[in-house]
Amino acid sequence: MAVAALQLRLILCPGARGLRSFSSAVRPAAGPRSWQQCGEPTAAGEGCKTSLEAVAIPSEVMVTLQKALPPRTEKMDVDQDWPSVYPVAAPFKPSAVPLPVRMGYPVKKGVPLAKEGNLELLKIPNFLHLTPVAIRRHCAALKDFCTEWPAALDSDEKCEKHFPIEIDTADYVSSGPSVRNPKSRVVTLRVKLSSLNLDNHAKKKLIKLVGERYCKNTEVLTITTDRCPLKRQNYDYALYLLTVLYHESWKTEEWEKNKTEEDMEEYVWENSSSENNALRTLLQMRAAESGVAPSRDELLGTREVEDYRKSVVQLKNEGENEANLTQYKESVKRLLNLA
Amino acid sequence: MKWAPWSNLHMDVPKDLTKPTITVSDEPDTLYKRLSILVKAHDKAVLDSYEYFAVLAAKELGISINVHEPPRKIERLTLLKSVHIFKKHRVQYEMRTLYRCLELKHLTGCTANVYLEYIQRNLPEGVAMEVTKTQIQQLPEHIKEPMWETLTEEKEERTS
Repeated sequence: MAVAALQLRLILCPGARGLRSFSSAVRPAAGPRSWQQCGEPTAAGEGCKTSLEAVAIPSEVMVTLQKALPPRTEKMDVDQDWPSVYPVAAPFKPSAVPLPVRMGYPVKKGVPLAKEGNLELLKIPNFLHLTPVAIRRHCAALKDFCTEWPAALDSDEKCEKHFPIEIDTADYVSSGPSVRNPKSRVVTLRVKLSSLNLDNHAKKKLIKLVGERYCKNTEVLTITTDRCPLKRQNYDYALYLLTVLYHESWKTEEWEKNKTEEDMEEYVWENSSSENNALRTLLQMRAAESGVAPSRDELLGTREVEDYRKSVVQLKNEGENEANLTQYKESVKRLLNLA
Repeated sequence: MKWAPWSNLHMDVPKDLTKPTITVSDEPDTLYKRLSILVKAHDKAVLDSYEYFAVLAAKELGISINVHEPPRKIERLTLLKSVHIFKKHRVQYEMRTLYRCLELKHLTGCTANVYLEYIQRNLPEGVAMEVTKTQIQQLPEHIKEPMWETLTEEKEERTS
């Protein structure tokens, strides 16, 4: 059987030596003739009688080499429908693009290489499928799936008023071994405290609970969550945190009664050392002058004490500047009857 | 026996592709105040073409868009040129990343999905994209009022 096969090979490729076949081997394509000459390969065991003479190749059977066809660009007219030539992203085909593009670094006193067989033109991504005509057609088809932005929400303030919560999410698209990006599970929730239904005590408690996440200048609470593996889990967790903070800040615990002066967020004049000192001084002054000591409430109601209180509160809360200091000076002078 | 490939992939193209139907559902559309798309590539020409495509697509779909170009980043590394010794002869490589930022304002959820899918399907090879969405929402129902009054009422109802 193997002997018959080897002898068949010798007929079909007369130049063949050994068992290897090479791509440059010239095969006489006279299939039917050689079969007839050799006879059908008989059953195993019987070799066929062959002759090792050269086989004549008839011209009709031989494959004729054709001249290369002219490129498609010569048949294209100027006002053809280009999106039908390149409907999708495809590599650059020099025979299908009628532009005389040249690309490549030229040799000395030379020009960049022509487009035929140019690897640089193949490597760079081309946008031949995204001409303005094609983009307009795509958008016309996609327009049916779009909805309009509500006309009543044209400014940022209106958006803020009706939709106070802002949620930031991120998506990442890149090519690589994996489609996933671990940064995409981060969710940031931002809300302005003025849009939440909070009273004074609740607001102060919320700010203390939240700590670093509240910005005093813009009054915005920012909650960033990334402890869960999925984005929607992080979103649910952020909303849960906001709900818990809101409801906890409305509760008043027993230990909150022990709030001392160091815990206060802003300066409060009532029951402070400044009030005690001022009133004690005034009482001593009035007692020394007239012998009649007025009560503390009367003194608190007078205008000088009111002015003094206002200037001290302003100094402590807003810091020291020219206007505050002059106001404090005037009020002290009036209080002590020096002006 | 020579293997000739034969498959029906390119022969059985479905001729009657119907247009995808538009379904309208009752649930309210999400609203995006801002959509920030950062595109990163190694080639400025590719980024320019992509920006032209994205801007034209946004204008056709009626979305307001602004484009700005953050400065490029170059990462350089210096390696030894030879496998063994020759410390004085090195070779330097660099990776240039160029950026383009497209900012879209005031989009609905449907429009954002349509635009992003269109943009992302036509993203060229070798270009990466990061999308940051800012969604605006109303206050959820359970934050409107503190629950402690309703809780005490329920407790009274249960005990009485």
